[in-house]
Amino acid sequence: MVMDQAVYRPHEGAAGPLAVTTTGLTKRFGDRVVVDDVALAIPAGSVCGFVGPNGAGKTTTIRMLLGLVRPTAGSGTILGGSLTEPATYLHKVGALIEAPAFYPQLSGRENLEVLARLGRLPRTAVDPVLERSGLLARAGDRYRSYSLGMKQRLGIAAAMLAGPELLILDEPTNGLDPAGIVEMRSLIRSFAGDGITVLVSSHLISEIEQICDYVVMIRAGRLVHQGSVDILRATQQAEFVIAPEHDGDRDLLAGLLGQAGCTVAPGDGAGVLVVQESGLGAAGLNRLAAQNGITLRQLAERTRSLERAFFALTGTESADVPDGQEMGAIR
Amino acid sequence: MTWAAFTSEWTKLRRPTLLWSTFLGLAAAASLFVILVFSQATAHGGIVTLHQLAQPNGLVIGVARAAMLLGVVAFGIAASQVASEYSLGALRQLLVRQPRRAVLLAGKMLGVVTFLLAALCFAAVVALIAAVAAAHSRGVPTAAWFTGTGLGDLFRELGDLALAVIGYSVLGMALGQFVRSAVAAVIIGFAWLLAVENIITRIVPSIQQWLPGQSVLAVASGGGEGVGYAHGLILGAVYLLAAITAAMTVFLRSDITA
Repeated sequence: MVMDQAVYRPHEGAAGPLAVTTTGLTKRFGDRVVVDDVALAIPAGSVCGFVGPNGAGKTTTIRMLLGLVRPTAGSGTILGGSLTEPATYLHKVGALIEAPAFYPQLSGRENLEVLARLGRLPRTAVDPVLERSGLLARAGDRYRSYSLGMKQRLGIAAAMLAGPELLILDEPTNGLDPAGIVEMRSLIRSFAGDGITVLVSSHLISEIEQICDYVVMIRAGRLVHQGSVDILRATQQAEFVIAPEHDGDRDLLAGLLGQAGCTVAPGDGAGVLVVQESGLGAAGLNRLAAQNGITLRQLAERTRSLERAFFALTGTESADVPDGQEMGAIR
Repeated sequence: MTWAAFTSEWTKLRRPTLLWSTFLGLAAAASLFVILVFSQATAHGGIVTLHQLAQPNGLVIGVARAAMLLGVVAFGIAASQVASEYSLGALRQLLVRQPRRAVLLAGKMLGVVTFLLAALCFAAVVALIAAVAAAHSRGVPTAAWFTGTGLGDLFRELGDLALAVIGYSVLGMALGQFVRSAVAAVIIGFAWLLAVENIITRIVPSIQQWLPGQSVLAVASGGGEGVGYAHGLILGAVYLLAAITAAMTVFLRSDITA
């Protein structure tokens, strides 16, 4: 089901004050439109997932919010400051953009001191963020000796240095091992507990689903959806995986389900069907099969996931940007 | 705000590896020329005579001849300091903490220039100690070096070298800003200063006085055969202003995608 413009609700669930708003945000590199007319409305205090496949324009959007890339068109406000004047709001923003980038020959602490001095922050601001990111014990070691997880944590520490009201994290779990990913999720959740608005981007929708209460979906540079995660999940139709005891009954079962108003598609495996039902529920499906002499060997409801919602909204089954819409070096 | 960017830059510059390699590298280059000048000097003829070395300006003859090498080293270090911000990706972190790009670049330039001037001072002290030792070993009297005239020549030469180091550093940083790659900036800079300008000068000698490297070199050596001191000073200042303006314009207008 492709999202219809008529039912598209760009600011669904965004009641209350907004930390980030944009209107018509657009970025072109030559002939390529990397971000196209994006209107963001991110509620203050939310943990907002910014999802989309590789090449969707997430990083370019984030760079525009941080004043690193100049928008071709559009306007916006971040924490009340105009997008065209980053100096008015960036002192309240912390950011980790793509892979953490520090000076290899300096220690973790010295790297943060470089940023603290630049931002006119006291040197005493450094150790608390090192402690919170779990790096205090290794703060004196050179950055080049850090593992990938430690580098990522130093990036988070740098983002926290100014005591931000808005934290922008671009793919913060990239390259982390499973334990590191769990740690990172827990760290991000803890920021929300402090009242910080968090905008976290990822191409892994399932990851966003676990930590975010608000989601912005983008694909091929265009906004697909934004709103509350719970509301988005609730709007999804229930979907069942169903299989008759005898494979030969599959076509009969598919016909009966079709007559009952269900949308039926072949599933993985012999005799398996995927059914988008129309109000029957699991019991109704089972009853329909039994009344027609078919015993079911499988009847399971699929979890309503953001991933399915994303694919439903974009009308695709692929996470990649279609041919001809690649974003090049900049995402 | 520029002070904050300046002190932030010095936090990076003072790291032991960079600090000692720069300070000792410049000291070694200056001392090498001093020792070569003294070891090659003869009673009559040659590049320089022992009699010339005993004059009030004898103390600075060797250091002055190292000007080109000192300048090239300063150029390379300055270019790599700017370009590496792009190659490391650290620039995006810096710009989040200091979004006023002009302030960031001004603080960085000030930091790098003062770092290289400090390295020059250190190199000068080491080279002068080497000159006294070399004079002693060659039996060159040094009494004239420490007269009012001699010390005047010394400080004038060090002032000229400092101006040249500022010139080479700023040109290096501007190139680093354009090229955004430390290796490419150093290769292009060295090729231009050491080879291209010399080739152009040999083919069309009248162009020499208009070349940036030759202008700064003329300042460092107190004026040369092809380029006068005052001409070098004025033209060098024009090149520096143009380089700063161009680097600032590019930095203010560019998208940071590194």
